[in-house]
Amino acid sequence: MIEIRNFSFTYRESADPVVQDINLRIPDGAFVGITGAAGSGKSTLTYAMNGIIPHCYPGDFYGSVVVEGLDTCEASLTDISQVVGSVCQDIDSQIVTSIVEDEMLYGLENFGVPHAEIDARVDEALTDMGIADLRDRVIASLSGGQKQKVAIASILALKPKVLMLDEPTAELDPASSLQVFQLLERYAREHGTTVVVVEQKIALLSQFADMLVIVDDGRIRFADSPANVLAHSDELLEIGVNCPRSTTLMNRLAADGLYAGSVCRNVEEACVALAEVIA
Amino acid sequence: MNGFLEYVPGDSLLHRMNPVAKLLFAVVFAITCFCTGNLVFLCVMLVLGLAMAASCGMMKQTFGLMKAVFVFSLILAILLIFTTPAGDRLVDLPWGYIGTGSILAAVTTIVRLEAAAIPLFLTFYVTKMSDLSNSVVKVLHVPYKYAFTFTSTVHFIPVFMNDMKGIMEAQTARGVEFDVGGIVNKVRLMVPLTVPLLVSSVRKTNSAAIAAEVRGFNLRTRDSGYKQYPFAAFDIAAIALAIVLLAAAICITVLL
Repeated sequence: MIEIRNFSFTYRESADPVVQDINLRIPDGAFVGITGAAGSGKSTLTYAMNGIIPHCYPGDFYGSVVVEGLDTCEASLTDISQVVGSVCQDIDSQIVTSIVEDEMLYGLENFGVPHAEIDARVDEALTDMGIADLRDRVIASLSGGQKQKVAIASILALKPKVLMLDEPTAELDPASSLQVFQLLERYAREHGTTVVVVEQKIALLSQFADMLVIVDDGRIRFADSPANVLAHSDELLEIGVNCPRSTTLMNRLAADGLYAGSVCRNVEEACVALAEVIA
Repeated sequence: MNGFLEYVPGDSLLHRMNPVAKLLFAVVFAITCFCTGNLVFLCVMLVLGLAMAASCGMMKQTFGLMKAVFVFSLILAILLIFTTPAGDRLVDLPWGYIGTGSILAAVTTIVRLEAAAIPLFLTFYVTKMSDLSNSVVKVLHVPYKYAFTFTSTVHFIPVFMNDMKGIMEAQTARGVEFDVGGIVNKVRLMVPLTVPLLVSSVRKTNSAAIAAEVRGFNLRTRDSGYKQYPFAAFDIAAIALAIVLLAAAICITVLL
């Protein structure tokens, strides 16, 4: 479980807090999507949960962040990292080796995974990400999307209790983005892993997440089920978060009294709801 | 060859050799080249180096390296010609003369540098950088943080080169003419671009350090490496050959 209480953080080089008064409770095995406008504090929130704040970025830290029983201020970054697997936003910086297989091995070797298990874990993670054929490739020769899949696979191989991904589909096409989310959902279900994803593609988040967290100007504006959050499509638009067009359409119909059903998260749900409205 | 010190895949004997054996061979080979001034012996070393390059299909890349080394060694050679008055007098200078010995010294320097560079160059291109660092940690007991520092440096060279290319392309799109006025103009225009490059480099390096730390960098020990690097008969033979060459070079220098 992840529990954030009254958390505020100000980077040393800035005067104002980047995030403030954050209270959030993420139960074990939840799939949480965090989104918000650029610069709203989404990444800072993930840094707080994976221990990068306060261990790597100094600043004024108020409140507490407890991940799987570890207080991120008291536990070392290495201890937190054994529980939380992180995929950074800047993939080029995350990759530390030159060959895909070596990148997969890096974390497994460091965390002391028994050597007898390593090969199977590498195989499984690469196959899950659909990149088993890239195992011996030089990373510099891969496309941005392929690198992103390698970075995710290298973290999945570690089988962490919590997966923290900062814009994991930024370099992927829509089909690959969907594939990554399907994999993350299946992985979380099979392993009981808690998944926290920062993502701009709200349609994907609303389709897969159990909880949507909307961050606005350093504060949590909404933290609820996707259906409940998407019901506020007009407010979301005001703070720079575009809901799926199908959601916005059905919300407007609901506002005009033409539709009384639940919030539609995607085109398929909207088609069914529209058919009911027309009938 | 994709980039600077970037592994070139292959299945040659040199590719399959133990990374430590390759490194030791290359280092001893380079030392050997500096232990003798015998031009014939150095030519033999150069031919040996080229034979190694041919055996792993790296001739084209090796000639590229030789060209770069030649430019550098030519500067040293010219200095030697003007500052080493030896042998039969060919041209008189105000401070001495250029003799046959001067030219011999210059040619020897060029051949020596070319011969010494080839095995080191091949070692880095036919060995995965991670194998090289893991094996020196496992076999030679080099602390991992030093090996990681080296591999990270090499890993980031193409990343930073790409960044520089990107910055230059962005500047070109805004009317900066890098292709006009020759190398001096290009360097003059590049100097101010080093600041954004430095800023992005520091940022990337910091991110890489964090990424390594969150993947257990501090937990790594000498035994963490998954791959094993046993010495085969050929590895031992290669090291023995390097030692024999070193001994021969020393003998030639002492006896002749």
